[in-house]
Amino acid sequence: MKTFMERQTFIVLHILAIVTIIGSMLTGFRISLVSQDWLAAISVLLPQGAIHTWHLGFAVGLTLLVIAYTGYSLRAPFRSYPSIYHKIINYLGYISICLIVLSGWAVWANFHSHYARSIHQVAMWLMVSYFVLHAWIYILQKGRGVFGAILPKRLKLMHGAITLCLVILGLFIHTFTVNTSHQLEVQTMADTVFIEIDGKATEAQWQSAPTYTVTTIGGANFDNGSTEVSIKALANQYETYFLISWQDKSKSTNHLPLLKTDNGWQVQENGFYRFDERTFYEDKFAVMLSDGCEIAGDNTYHSGSKPIKNKPKNWHGKGYHASLDGKVRDLWHWKAVRTNDMYLADDNFIGPPSEHLKGKRRYSAGYQADGKESGAYVMNWQWYSSQGVSPKRLPMDPQSHQAVLPWFGSKPYQHQQDTYPIGTLLPSVLYRSNRFEGDRADVRARGEWHDGRWTLELVRKHNTQSKYDIPLQTGTCMWVSAFDHAQIAHTRHIKAIKLRYAL
Amino acid sequence: MIQRLLISAFIIAVFIGICLVPPAQPKLSQHPRFTKITQDGKTLSPWQGPWACVHDTQNQLLWEVKTDNETIHDGYWTYSWFNGAQGKENFGDCYFEPNRCDTQDLIRRTNEQALCGLTQWRLPSAQELSSLIQDPASPAYPYIANDFFVHIKKGDYWSADHSQPLSKQYRQGGDGATAINFHFGKSYTLPYRNAAFVMLVADLPAANTSPQLSRRELITQQKQE
Repeated sequence: MKTFMERQTFIVLHILAIVTIIGSMLTGFRISLVSQDWLAAISVLLPQGAIHTWHLGFAVGLTLLVIAYTGYSLRAPFRSYPSIYHKIINYLGYISICLIVLSGWAVWANFHSHYARSIHQVAMWLMVSYFVLHAWIYILQKGRGVFGAILPKRLKLMHGAITLCLVILGLFIHTFTVNTSHQLEVQTMADTVFIEIDGKATEAQWQSAPTYTVTTIGGANFDNGSTEVSIKALANQYETYFLISWQDKSKSTNHLPLLKTDNGWQVQENGFYRFDERTFYEDKFAVMLSDGCEIAGDNTYHSGSKPIKNKPKNWHGKGYHASLDGKVRDLWHWKAVRTNDMYLADDNFIGPPSEHLKGKRRYSAGYQADGKESGAYVMNWQWYSSQGVSPKRLPMDPQSHQAVLPWFGSKPYQHQQDTYPIGTLLPSVLYRSNRFEGDRADVRARGEWHDGRWTLELVRKHNTQSKYDIPLQTGTCMWVSAFDHAQIAHTRHIKAIKLRYAL
Repeated sequence: MIQRLLISAFIIAVFIGICLVPPAQPKLSQHPRFTKITQDGKTLSPWQGPWACVHDTQNQLLWEVKTDNETIHDGYWTYSWFNGAQGKENFGDCYFEPNRCDTQDLIRRTNEQALCGLTQWRLPSAQELSSLIQDPASPAYPYIANDFFVHIKKGDYWSADHSQPLSKQYRQGGDGATAINFHFGKSYTLPYRNAAFVMLVADLPAANTSPQLSRRELITQQKQE
């Protein structure tokens, strides 16, 4: 005799499904909002903070429910007699849940994540449609009677046991998935081998080094917000070298240029006022290092306009980077204009949220620069205002067109000498010296753009002894992000890439 | 059914209404101690600029703000300590004097310029200067409120306190003056001939003696904000 799923068992699974789906949708919308501005209107309804960890938790829960429900249904299906309308809508639900689960795990696993992300987003809207067409129509049809149908009445010990088993199993899988990582083999080379940091990668050692390729998603200006990043690593006894290459159709060095207009000098911008410039900005690349490997940059990303308690709101509503566990994560920030001609990446770090300085409009939480002895780039305006600026310096040779204005190839701005015609462009970046000195200059780097691709070489000592740097050793986890003429809208990947040294 | 539809429509309208409310921008708040003052002596809000001086409400002083525009206030210029009678003349580095620079040169030029409307600029006492020491918000910053005191180097800044005995390694040079180091947030006694940075200070006139700035006017302006 065929057995059927008890109604109360179905109700328990149904409640768990409602919780996980609503949780997935709310956290998923918050994640989408980072790269989809048109969702900003619903920001006020969404949770803030370390949202990726929660999203993964709900994903684990939903996956377990799909498996449990499918397995249970094969043994003892649930008998119900919905109308034809609800039968059809239920199929929409089954399809959207399966698509969401499969595409979500594909993004997590870096398996065709470029396509998987698109499918995940379509599936999310299918799920929203299902929610409305299923739940709302039932509420319209049955009113308060709907609660009688979906709330449990006679729970048995077995139902509590099922829920407990799913939660415990879910927590176990969540702990495992949050910390899993990809792996990058760091190839050993002799101390005598010379690798020139020139962004050309002509050395034979690079040809034989293993490559790890990760698809990064969610950035501005890239095709569908995505670019594939290939990474190689070499190490001798003292230093680790990285060769990183990514697709970028355009070489962008037009960094916030100053334009002479009828009303004086204006900074060319499209979002810089709220610190989210996406048009007049240089290309950049970031590498984050941590001795922990949790998803979302070892849990250092906090989404939303005010994700950190007792800290100010941000201007763009996208969130902050900060280490709420108090540990330091290393961040190398290569900038095509501001640091490339210094042959350096800006050695920064992500630490605990910094003190809010009342005199500064921008608060960057835990994202800060390492200390330096001297040397810097500075912006070529005396004070930034969206209404207009006064340049700090003018080129000695008014005809010169450079992305960077050297301090000693320029002179202080004087209004009387400003005879530049309307339409003149000036560089916004001034090099006070040819490089940083000190802790901030630990990472040598050079990028070259050729034929739709940036190639970046980086090198740093395994251990700089700086408290703001992470040692490079087996087990160190890294994340990479590309910026296509965008200030903060970078691409990203979920799982860490763990370094494995043969030394 | 109609009632349920109306309730649904009402709930949707509430959600849409919530979503249409423009998001609040980050809020400006006043610094409890410092206020930006322009070259003309006008007060600015903490997010406005540029500013030439900082009003210190704790000490009722006006501090000179350093620049990077190669004027006399450029933060890169250094000075030997000299008060016209004591110290070492012209042993620092700057571009604005035909010879090299000492602290007296910057004081004279700043008073001639009437920076922020004041003409009583002087070296701060060690106590006044060390009252500015605070933990940096980032390792990249010196030990001072970097949002108000820009272009401050991680180096030594002269105070007016002089005739101080030097430490053992400098003792052959006789006495020296006290300097505050904003790299470490500590004070040292240095030989007068040392090239150190300078941040001048001026006492606020009690009332109406300066056309733009007076203690009473500043307090009134701050209360209005």
